[in-house]
Amino acid sequence: MPEKQEGKWVGKGMKRKEDLRLLTGRGRFMDDIRLPNMKYAAILRSPYPHAWIRGMDISQAPKVSGVRGVLTGDDVAAMSQPFPVGVPIPPKYYSCAVDKVRYVGEPVAVVIADSRYIAEDALDMIEVEYEPLPVVMDIEEAAEPDAPILHDNIGSNIYSHRFFQYGDMQKAYEEADLVVKGKFLFPKYGSTPIETYGVIASYNPFNAELVIYNNYQGPFVNHALVAMALGIPENKMRWIVPTDIGGGFGTKTGLYPYIALIALAAKKTGMTVKWIEDRREHLLASATGTDRVTYMEAAVKNDGTILGLKDKAMDNTGGYIRPPEPGCAYRSTGNHTGAYQIRNLDREVLVVGTNKCLTAPNRGYTCQELYFSVERLVDMVAVELKMDPAEVRFKNFIQADQFPYTTATGGIYDAGDYPKAFQMALDKIDYKKMRKEQQQARKEGRYIGIGLATVVDPSVTNIAYVTLALTPEQRAKGHPKSGSGESVIVKLDPLGKAHVIACTNPQGQGHETVISQIVADELGIHPDDVTVSDVVDTHDRVYTITTGSYSSRFASVGVNAVVAATRKVKEKMKKIAAHLLEANPEDIETKEGKFYVKGAPDKSIQVRHIAGTAHWNQSALPEGMDVGLYASSLLSMPTSQPPDQLDRVDSSNTYGFMAEAIVVEVDPETGQVQFLKWASVHDAGTILNPLLLEGQVMGSIAHALGGTLYEEWAYDENGQCLTASFQDYLVPTAMEVPMVDIGHVETPSPLTALGSKGVGESSTMSVPVAIANAIADALAPLGVTINELPLSPNKIWHLIQEANK
Amino acid sequence: MKLEGTYKFKASQEKVWEVLTNPRHLEKAIPGCEKLEEIEPGKYDVTLKIGIAAVKGAYKGMAEVADPQPPQKYRLIVEGSGSPGFVKGEALIELSHQNQSTIVSCQAEGQVGGLIAGVGQRMISGIAKMMLGQFFKQIGKELKAL
Repeated sequence: MPEKQEGKWVGKGMKRKEDLRLLTGRGRFMDDIRLPNMKYAAILRSPYPHAWIRGMDISQAPKVSGVRGVLTGDDVAAMSQPFPVGVPIPPKYYSCAVDKVRYVGEPVAVVIADSRYIAEDALDMIEVEYEPLPVVMDIEEAAEPDAPILHDNIGSNIYSHRFFQYGDMQKAYEEADLVVKGKFLFPKYGSTPIETYGVIASYNPFNAELVIYNNYQGPFVNHALVAMALGIPENKMRWIVPTDIGGGFGTKTGLYPYIALIALAAKKTGMTVKWIEDRREHLLASATGTDRVTYMEAAVKNDGTILGLKDKAMDNTGGYIRPPEPGCAYRSTGNHTGAYQIRNLDREVLVVGTNKCLTAPNRGYTCQELYFSVERLVDMVAVELKMDPAEVRFKNFIQADQFPYTTATGGIYDAGDYPKAFQMALDKIDYKKMRKEQQQARKEGRYIGIGLATVVDPSVTNIAYVTLALTPEQRAKGHPKSGSGESVIVKLDPLGKAHVIACTNPQGQGHETVISQIVADELGIHPDDVTVSDVVDTHDRVYTITTGSYSSRFASVGVNAVVAATRKVKEKMKKIAAHLLEANPEDIETKEGKFYVKGAPDKSIQVRHIAGTAHWNQSALPEGMDVGLYASSLLSMPTSQPPDQLDRVDSSNTYGFMAEAIVVEVDPETGQVQFLKWASVHDAGTILNPLLLEGQVMGSIAHALGGTLYEEWAYDENGQCLTASFQDYLVPTAMEVPMVDIGHVETPSPLTALGSKGVGESSTMSVPVAIANAIADALAPLGVTINELPLSPNKIWHLIQEANK
Repeated sequence: MKLEGTYKFKASQEKVWEVLTNPRHLEKAIPGCEKLEEIEPGKYDVTLKIGIAAVKGAYKGMAEVADPQPPQKYRLIVEGSGSPGFVKGEALIELSHQNQSTIVSCQAEGQVGGLIAGVGQRMISGIAKMMLGQFFKQIGKELKAL
């Protein structure tokens, strides 16, 4: 239970309301849902990365006792449409392979049976005849004209290809003293939430309505996508989400093809069908972030000023491209230049397909890819100019008095003080002293390195950026897209207790707790007197397609919606109080559960009396006022606008900041990396709850540590996935995560009601490159170049051996 | 995945050839082989039961004694698929005579796909090496029993 405290709740480290049920095993997750007469599905998956399906014999499967039906690719093609996706020539992406498989693990058939055991056994009875095809696994090879083609209707493996110019890169080159170049490889890694995907679908043939339980995380555009694929109106498809979801991190935005698949299984059999993804299925075929190849160069002056950036970035969305991709290539448009005043850019962007598993946003959603190249390059500039890498950053920072700052690419940075936050990180590791110690250590033959990274953390996606996949001319022919909506309903019961109905669809973020803190503050009541229902049901919640918990939305737009609805309720309460106290509503103030007249605290009325009046006695209300006490908000961020003619877009709505300063020691004999010091400073605006903030920051650090040192969705040259269990897909545990000295700077955002902004992804963006910079700095005397991840001991050892040659 | 091995048998080249191409002996020697049935000369229906790492399962497929040049060399092709995925292997088997013994050299290439590749790949080359050893050990036994 939250500790009893009086006064302002926002900003206090209130313990999570959610934890009591979660820690005592009373959470209700997807697999806890059991419906009457429920059947179970198992999915047959392709063992081939690229092959024609020449035949399928399903005749034996129904002979297994307890089998209720089989759904094949032919059924799926007959009963549904490919998912729409915003690229010039969409591939035909169905929820199941139809005539060709394009990655190992792609669904090819579904068996529905009385138990999962029976369904799994019956999968063995299905004979599929495959005709294997040549595979393409490498991003750059996939883009070549002679590569094996995945989709004949596209004619190449390039799903999206665009050029962008901002400012005048040619002039930047002319004014530059030198150009620093690099090629950077970012691996394919995922999120591995503790709860895997799950779906239960039932179809009612009498009213043609589908009811689907699932643990997706949003955005709600997934609901529209499935309705379009199934060819049914959205209001005929009800989605219900369990009380608790065991982690999402972006991965669960990739759940929707399975929602369509299990819905079709339910429709075909006329039964209620449940499917829970097992861990091997998850590690083989759920969703990862994109792997990326980046060529990037910086035009710089001898004093360290970066005049311009030119880059070619190639993302890989695997066997198909599906929404929200090609967002991978465009999500970070507004913050492409990070924390720096860089006004000239020349960009080429490609999204290609290979025979790998498909993608979805993965905590940080391609900002880790972006900053891996930008921030490595900044360090390389420092090396070239023999400058301190901290000095190069200070030289190029956007300054505190420049906010709101519009970037060359159209991002509108709301607030920040980058030099202050960065200095805090440097001070935490005693940077200057550390540099001297590093020199001393080198004399002793020890390889100590200091890695820095300063990055801008975008939160609250503006859906508009997805349309950058189209040229301004193509966009003009279609309908513009923009927005970032969230909705909240606040109501007070007749005894004056508040209940909040939210639609943020959290996966463990603690929204119940923060909503209670905010509503308690706004209404002058105790957080214990606020209950929250944040369980999504598309039939009884209000939302827009951008609603959901993804892109660190809650602390910005989620909080705005909570505050807006609560303040509407409060306005009504003030009117009632003023009416009952015979005063002006403007003179009513609140404190500790009472509404009183300014300057006359004895003239007061309790919240429960105001609520009671609204519910019990309409005759005591001001004339013309509606009975009851509730208000709703459905709002977006005003900054969410479509891209302009020059392809500039404010791709997110609020922008935080992180500075990492990491000291490592590398053992050149083993390639082992040891963390000696680690400071991580964040500016996410006003802090709503420091305990939750610390949890998010440590979580994002652990997540990033995985992608940096351990995790990779690895494939062999034949297209076989090598990491389909936790034996081979290494995830850091608490033992691998070092102590981190976390610091905060609070620059309130002018765009949010309480000055807060998103921080859920945060260090996933800055840590990979900070560690890479630290290792590169440590191994600089050996002539080792670091331009790829993950930096496993054997990779570091090999890089040292190559440098020795 | 590539494997190589050389094995020595105290028997004539013709005898070793006979054992190495006879389905009755191959059935016993191919590790995990539960059934080997001739469908046409040199081609067989096979059922294999193999456990790799935590993945045990049955594979149905075919085996072929291809391009036989008795008693010098042939290619042994084995393919199977089942719920754990698929296995494919091809071995070039060459026989030569040396001091009353027969030397068999084997150059094999194998491929696995699906689940077994995803959860067992780390172990596979070790297991394949072991299985190749088992195969020739059993061939030796078959020879002695002749």
